[in-house]
Amino acid sequence: MTRQALLENTRMSIRSILSVPVRSILTGLGVMIGVGAVITLVALGNGAQKQVEAGLEALGANLLIVYSGEPRGTALVRTNTSNIRPTLTETDIEMIRALPPDLVRLVAPASTANAQLKYENRNIAATVIGTTVEYPDVRNFYPIYGEFFTEVDVESRRAVVVLGAQTYRDLFVAGQDPIGERVRINGIAFRVVGVMEEKGSTAQDSSVLIPISTFQRSVSGSSNYAMVNIQAASSDVMRELQAILERELLRLHRMPSIEAADFYIANQLDLLSTVQGVAGTFTMLLASIAAISLVVGGIGIMNIMLVSVTERTREIGVRMALGARGRDIMAQFLTEAVILSVGGGVIGVALGLGASWAAVEFLRTAAVATASSVGTAFGFSVVIGLFFGGYPAWRASRLDPIEALRYE
Amino acid sequence: MIDTMADPMIVFDRIEKTYNMGAEIIRALDGVTFSVEAGEFIAIIGPSGSGKSTLMNVVGCLDTPSGGAYRLAGESVENLSRDQLAEVRNTRIGFVFQTFNLLPRLTAIENVEVPLVYAGVSRRERRKRAVAMLERVGLADRGKHRPAELSGGQRQRVAIARALSLDPAVLLADEPTGALDTATGHDIMQLFHTLHRDGSTIVLVTHDPDLAEQADRIIRILDGRITDDRKCAAKEAFA
Repeated sequence: MTRQALLENTRMSIRSILSVPVRSILTGLGVMIGVGAVITLVALGNGAQKQVEAGLEALGANLLIVYSGEPRGTALVRTNTSNIRPTLTETDIEMIRALPPDLVRLVAPASTANAQLKYENRNIAATVIGTTVEYPDVRNFYPIYGEFFTEVDVESRRAVVVLGAQTYRDLFVAGQDPIGERVRINGIAFRVVGVMEEKGSTAQDSSVLIPISTFQRSVSGSSNYAMVNIQAASSDVMRELQAILERELLRLHRMPSIEAADFYIANQLDLLSTVQGVAGTFTMLLASIAAISLVVGGIGIMNIMLVSVTERTREIGVRMALGARGRDIMAQFLTEAVILSVGGGVIGVALGLGASWAAVEFLRTAAVATASSVGTAFGFSVVIGLFFGGYPAWRASRLDPIEALRYE
Repeated sequence: MIDTMADPMIVFDRIEKTYNMGAEIIRALDGVTFSVEAGEFIAIIGPSGSGKSTLMNVVGCLDTPSGGAYRLAGESVENLSRDQLAEVRNTRIGFVFQTFNLLPRLTAIENVEVPLVYAGVSRRERRKRAVAMLERVGLADRGKHRPAELSGGQRQRVAIARALSLDPAVLLADEPTGALDTATGHDIMQLFHTLHRDGSTIVLVTHDPDLAEQADRIIRILDGRITDDRKCAAKEAFA
């Protein structure tokens, strides 16, 4: 088909589409909704993924965590390790601290325990985290009020405590200044020095933080650590650092392989890729469901094109008598189907972007419309026009001109 | 060797057209032989069911014969494919129908342009030729009107302009006055006479003997056979 003919086809198609406006809109509606749904749902899926990623990054930058115990399926962040027998020793920590600064920036060993907290007549259960002063920087988790405990507090095994945001709310009256108040942990009095920021994670918000030295003496009685939070020097060295940690810890623990070891290492990069994988699957699922409505839209186009071919049988006969070849007729109806479909697609893109915007603006959900989802949905509308317009157009092209001319 | 000036425009040599209707075989055309010279104006006449329509469809290359040879403007066309037939219809045949068969959504000019579109003529050239053709049939001022805004006679003139747009070898008219009143029908016949004088080869298919008398020659068909093929003496009276 020449460019000339293509141009003429497009003009003729637009004219015949505009001659039945309501029918054309209804025909394109299926594709409109389909494309809009694909873009909106993919945007919501991407938004959810971005939120989870942001949440993971809030755990701390370039974070590696060595846990006591056996690996548990997919490595996830675990704040509460109270039920795990701590296997990480002081020697392990010294080894990690001795690693060169171009690998390791900060090290914050920690142990946790479930404990009973009491202030005045209030009694609650909470997770007690014993750790060092590096903890806020490694976990990107800072006091919002008062101070974190200090190096001196750790060295002197002082009974000081920093409260999680939820713990503060549970123990104190709103607005009450907790600094200097005494909170009993398993019966031992601790002086409150600060309150941590709200993190949105129950595990962290419902915890209290005390110096690791105090924890080992007063709470656990063990000199081992349940976990070590490590901030790598950069994301580029995380895999290398993980390999070194694995090798050195196996050596120190005299264990043959990581599968049989009494520790495991969670890497933020692995967490991220796991989450991205899950979110990707989720987004694909949403997109597939939306794609079904695209197919339904395509069937709508096929239906109307079949009607249109029947209605215009005589026109087809006249055109054939005047010299239209089968392929000219085919091209004419295909062009019409594609224009209907693409027209629906364009409006669908606008609807999808509008809905994504509205989701962010009014529903406060995360929705990220990407160029690729817009491009894919639009491309699909072209393909659907060609595919579902193909059969009616083929039928039109195979009509017998004599029969078609006689058609009333 | 193709020489359209020397060859007759239409040569039908023992043309047959048979249809298989289950057990029965219908011979719509049964050995039809005739020829039409360039510039001739002939009428094909016969009652309905005589094979007249089938003959017209074969002449117009809408249908292929089951047997025999057909040369149109020096070219064998009896064994062409669908696409090749479409091309022959496009460039060699100018159809004029009883019910005009204009495309209702297109203007008069655009209707005349339709064959030119399929011939791949550029838009500007199409417009130029369509306007010239409408002028030739006396409708220069109606080019922007749609068929619904034109009278029956005007519509048929647009259809004739459309048929002429690619300077066809044969103008094939099927009952061109059948849907018109007597006076308008007369005007349309006058237009055919004018075109004939200017050199067009015209085949007029009709069941009306009075109309047929206006041609140079009448071919009468009955039961798929030519029963009469004679020159028409009285034609000067209408010229």
